[in-house]
Amino acid sequence: MSKNLSELSSRQGLKYNLFDEMGKLAQERGTPSQEELDTLANDFLIGKANTYGAVSFYDFLKPENKGKKVYICNGTACLCAGTQDQLLDNLKSKFDESEIGHMTCLGRCHENNAFNYNGKNYSGNEASDLDQIVNGEGDNNDNYNVAASGAQILTAEISDLSEYYQVFKDVLQKDRTTALEEIKKSNLRGRGGAGFPMGLKLEFCKNADSDVKFIICNADEGDPGAYSDRYLLEKRPHSVLFGMMVSAYIVGANNGVLYIRAEYPESVRAVEKAIQQLVDMDLLGKNICGSGFDFEFRIIQAQGSYICGEETALINSIEGQRPEVRVRPPYPAQRGLFNKPTVVNNVETLAAVHYILANGGEAWKNIGTDKSSGTKLVCLDSLFNKPGMYEVEMGTPLSYVVNELGGGFKRPVKAMQIGGPLGGLVPISAIDRLTVDFESFAQNGFLLGHASVVSVPEDFPIIKFMEHLFDFASYESCGKCFPCRLGTKRGHELIQKARSNNYKIDAVLFEDLLTTLEEGSLCAHGGGIPLPIRNALQHFEGELKSYFN
Amino acid sequence: MKIAYINNKPYVINEGETMLAFIKRYMGDNSVPTLCDAPNLDPFGACRVCSVEVALEEDGKCKTMASCHTPVGEGQYIYTDSPSIQKLRKNIIELVLTDHPLDCLTCEVNGNCELQTVAGQVGIRAVRYPEGETHLDRDKDLSHPYLTSDMSKCINCYRCVRACDEVQGQFVLSMAGRGFDAKIVKGNDQSFFESDCVSCGACVQACPTSAISDVYQSKAIGATDTTRTICTYCGVGCNLEVSTTNGEVVSIRAPYDAEVNEGHTCLKGRYAFKFYNHPERLRSPLIKKNGKFEEASWEEAYDLIESKLREYKSDFGPDQIAGISSSRCTNEENYLMQKFIRAVIGTNNIDGCARVCHSPTALGMQRTFGTGAATNSIEDLKHTNCIMVIGANPTDAHPVTGARLKQFAMKSNNVSIVIDPRRTELASYATYHIPLRPGTNVAVLNMMMYYIIAEGLADNTFIDLRTEGFEEFKEQILALDLDEMAEISGVDKELVRKAAIAYATAPNAMSFHGLGVTEHSQGTFTVMQIADLALMTGNIGRKGVGVNPLRGQNNVQGSADMGVQPHQGAGYLDVTKDDVNQKYAQFYGVDIPQEIGYKIPEMFDAALNGNLKAIWIIGEDVVQTDPNTQKVIRALEATDFVVVQELFMTETAKYADVVLPGASFLEKSGTFTNGERRVQAVREVVEPLEGTKVDGQIIVDMMNRMGYNQPDYTPDGMLEEISQIVPFFAGIKWEELGKNGKQWPVKPNGEDTQILHTEEFKRGKGYFEFNAFEESKELTEHAKDYPYILTTNRELEHYNCGAMTRRTPNVEILKDDYLMIHPDDAAKHFIGEGDWVCLESPRGKVDVKARLTDQVREGIVSTTFHFPEIMVNNITSDVHDSEAMCPEYKVVAVKIRKSKGKFKALAENGSS
Repeated sequence: MSKNLSELSSRQGLKYNLFDEMGKLAQERGTPSQEELDTLANDFLIGKANTYGAVSFYDFLKPENKGKKVYICNGTACLCAGTQDQLLDNLKSKFDESEIGHMTCLGRCHENNAFNYNGKNYSGNEASDLDQIVNGEGDNNDNYNVAASGAQILTAEISDLSEYYQVFKDVLQKDRTTALEEIKKSNLRGRGGAGFPMGLKLEFCKNADSDVKFIICNADEGDPGAYSDRYLLEKRPHSVLFGMMVSAYIVGANNGVLYIRAEYPESVRAVEKAIQQLVDMDLLGKNICGSGFDFEFRIIQAQGSYICGEETALINSIEGQRPEVRVRPPYPAQRGLFNKPTVVNNVETLAAVHYILANGGEAWKNIGTDKSSGTKLVCLDSLFNKPGMYEVEMGTPLSYVVNELGGGFKRPVKAMQIGGPLGGLVPISAIDRLTVDFESFAQNGFLLGHASVVSVPEDFPIIKFMEHLFDFASYESCGKCFPCRLGTKRGHELIQKARSNNYKIDAVLFEDLLTTLEEGSLCAHGGGIPLPIRNALQHFEGELKSYFN
Repeated sequence: MKIAYINNKPYVINEGETMLAFIKRYMGDNSVPTLCDAPNLDPFGACRVCSVEVALEEDGKCKTMASCHTPVGEGQYIYTDSPSIQKLRKNIIELVLTDHPLDCLTCEVNGNCELQTVAGQVGIRAVRYPEGETHLDRDKDLSHPYLTSDMSKCINCYRCVRACDEVQGQFVLSMAGRGFDAKIVKGNDQSFFESDCVSCGACVQACPTSAISDVYQSKAIGATDTTRTICTYCGVGCNLEVSTTNGEVVSIRAPYDAEVNEGHTCLKGRYAFKFYNHPERLRSPLIKKNGKFEEASWEEAYDLIESKLREYKSDFGPDQIAGISSSRCTNEENYLMQKFIRAVIGTNNIDGCARVCHSPTALGMQRTFGTGAATNSIEDLKHTNCIMVIGANPTDAHPVTGARLKQFAMKSNNVSIVIDPRRTELASYATYHIPLRPGTNVAVLNMMMYYIIAEGLADNTFIDLRTEGFEEFKEQILALDLDEMAEISGVDKELVRKAAIAYATAPNAMSFHGLGVTEHSQGTFTVMQIADLALMTGNIGRKGVGVNPLRGQNNVQGSADMGVQPHQGAGYLDVTKDDVNQKYAQFYGVDIPQEIGYKIPEMFDAALNGNLKAIWIIGEDVVQTDPNTQKVIRALEATDFVVVQELFMTETAKYADVVLPGASFLEKSGTFTNGERRVQAVREVVEPLEGTKVDGQIIVDMMNRMGYNQPDYTPDGMLEEISQIVPFFAGIKWEELGKNGKQWPVKPNGEDTQILHTEEFKRGKGYFEFNAFEESKELTEHAKDYPYILTTNRELEHYNCGAMTRRTPNVEILKDDYLMIHPDDAAKHFIGEGDWVCLESPRGKVDVKARLTDQVREGIVSTTFHFPEIMVNNITSDVHDSEAMCPEYKVVAVKIRKSKGKFKALAENGSS
């Protein structure tokens, strides 16, 4: 978090973007050359250390990525499904081991067996035909159920674009507070995990005094198990773009940035296409529809780092800085991208805006529960009989989702991790107690988060699951704060040791470690990992007993 | 009044302060342990050791928060030391220790390690984690003459990275990798020596452990004493904390409570001190006998000088004797030297190195404002919106101020204008860089003033109330042919217009200038224009504005204040005036001469004309640094008796008849006055080297021998005398200077002055005077045959003639002078990187190694003069500023060609 680097990066605006340039330089060899990085550093006057330091952070930019051709998914769902060992063996028949990298969750949790090759993702049965894939003839489509159990909003078909964007034109006709009031009225809460009211965020930014502001769509859906954002970006991109355009109009931003995961190449292509449609419809650029409002989109492709889903890390990333978490305050709404007021919203949050403006905030508020309004996308993984993407009204019983929508499990499952790697580990016994909304999960000691569901099979050792979580947390820690950088590593080592050598973990030490992470960490990454671990300790005490003393 | 509670007791909060600042203010600096926090860095929130518990009611439900970056809120209950907080801190430190060597007893910073202190505070007794992965095997980096690193000791607090960014603005350090394996890198994972490090040492000072340190082990606690004093190099006036053991300097650090440098220094201030006891220091008076120096006793040397001076004075009159005082010396010593020349010898032939640097500043600003000194303070950078830096390269020549200017220029809300022929480091960050042809400052500034007037941006209220001469000035400005000016200066009119508008419309605009303004034939006029620009836009007399010369030497401001110039005595009083003469005569108790004496170039002319019998030069290497070296040498040779008071056998000292070994800044007490008129206490750190004497005492000894009763040199005694004759020193007392000194004028009650001309100018009204551009004679006479323009510049690592810095490990960083040449020009002459280039001017030739860079435009070349091997002043000219006689170092007509380096040793005069 360097104010100076933000300023220097901003000098070239979004057009010649430092981070984007790093990505371009890595395309050919998997990592930029030293000379190229030094030149870039000179162009931006930021010193060689900063381009070197930033590049070394990302999975798909760092020197170790050089020469990688194929990336195997190591996300939680693929791990639990147990498909990846075989896949790796298969890949080794076509690629040298040094050419195989990994990506953490390709969002193919409903099919598993997932990998990325040559800018495309493959999964399920289609992924088995490596010959065809290597020849460029493979099928990279995936199939999953999409359904709504109640109100169909986010999954609703957008049939007529001009009709869809008429709502935007109407918004432009009115004062920007009018649209803001509707969003506030709807009580729409952020779908990225924290559940912060979107209307308030927009209002803070609107009130910030600056000529330059930004809207950012956080499309860095890194939570293993979640593919709802991918769904929206690929199947309903206009709902997301619409949400950004209205947000921009409200706060007075002229630039919208979509920060999309590199693991979702298809999403990038779908959004690019949608933006072109907007250009063709004269809905972007200067003085849109004579309203005096200027707006443009910029897609920035992420480069492989889970922490970039944290909004301040994401902002640093766009600036080409190391994506380390910033201290708050200042909040992004006060000082965000390039030190300017910025609103960062999750894909699904933005996708809800159209409904609210077309039907009024009240209409959204009337759906769901008192405190959790509207509908929510829930992703079910391949251990369900009917894997897929389900839109449910907030407050829907979890048992309904699991048993009715998901059709129950294919094989015995003992727990579900809901809401990503930092979400709670819900034992099967707790299903009946929960409803899909922020409050129910929080009250029961879990976290709704992104509402993605990864099933842990009966025969999958919980200690192994814990090891995976700590491994993930440690690998993806930005390393800025001491508790997370050191604590996730030591936690991983403790469990590794307990699994492999007859080592017993000191329960007091382990408890101290979890509390240190929880209380001490700078952001929700280190602060969040103890939740599923504690859930495991509580609900699977018997299974874990032998590892502790 | 807003209240918050610390451990259930109410305290008043300051708006916007962090919890940490709030707690420290009431409970003391050590009340909350911290690791990543540092006094001069922004809150960062990495270590989390500063965590506290916060509740909304007394003993209510608590939330843990990092106090360093959380603002304190009204009504909050903060618990700084609850059992759970104690446990959290202990657990964090335990984690840190899992990846830190436990070799405290043999560690360089044992006893002064923040990790050690915090570990002690939180009471760590054991590390409970089993052995895991560590980074204890990281290699040490001992590549650099000063900086060292041992990253096995690194705790990833980022303080070094942030210091390099937020303080120095160099971006040499970053973290690389991520998570547990994140590590500090220099450049693209280079060593300190290979990296672009400017060796300022900010990272060393910031590092809480010994992960980054220096060869002097500045954080070790071995030193027995520390003394606070002032840096001897440039005019910024950084405060230094010098550690000593057994009377020897061990290391230097920068105090955080120094208003001038706020815990920062450059590599010269922090590291380049080893010259002080260098084997080549002169340790005995030397008398030249039969062309060879022989060691002599002080008595012998004094006897000889006394007899010679008495003889010349009586035989040829006092005006055949001259003195050059030194800006390296203290105010008190400068005062004594001019007093010696005026009151004891009886002539006004006293001058100093300001002649060859900022004499046009003093004169120009005196003409426009009435006072020849910076109108504002460096601190005002915090209150300005626009800086105009003209003819200055502060990141090399005034590094600590340069770093602040660079910090300013990096912020996009600020406007920065750099007017300089070269794309200096600051220029590359500036909003507007106007790359004019050397010697055309007047043309460009007139263009700016034209646009300001033409666009209706002049501040008419200020002009009406506070200035005179504007109407006539305006007419002349508006009559200019802008196309012609643009053609002459080689700049884009539109660029100049934009910069002018930016300066004029900024709520507060500050200007800074250096030798690129003064060392020209129109130097004084340029200074007057800069001052006029400020007048015209009302940018004078309040915070965040003004005209601020970046004074070169540590005490060049002070030497002028003390009367080291032939036309003004101590306190700038005009020596030709009867009342002034009476005042001085009465104060000194002897008759004082009333005719203006020689300026330095006039001393040399007088010598060559047989009109100078003796010259006494203190601490100035005129042979290496004054223009037209061969002429200077001839002048010294033509002077019967040359006394040089020096630290080293400089090029000038070689021409002396008597050499007196003086003392360095570390060996004496007194005061230096920095570029913002701040008189600061220089305190003796070590005793003068055996055989040497404090320069002030040498002068006092001589005054007494020559029959004038002057008490021994003491800083308090001298200041008491000075405060009675220099009006703006009236309230300065040695014992009241404190840590940060006082900015003159200082009233008798001790009140000092940060900003000049708030109500009225010293001369009454600010004065507008138009001066048209005039081409330098150097070019009108020689450009046809010598088509390139050579200009001169400074390098960070060396100071002026390099007498001091060349005797420090700085030479390992920069070994020689080099010539900056545009690649296209180089190609025309088949010159490659590192080739010798022969520079030939009408005065002679020198060879310099080429460095190809587009920092200079085609047709312009630039070099330094830090090394006697090159002696570039062999080719600089005799042209001087029309008003103040400052030499025109910045415009030399030359031809260039590739050479074999045969002129590198010493130039041959004339043809070859």
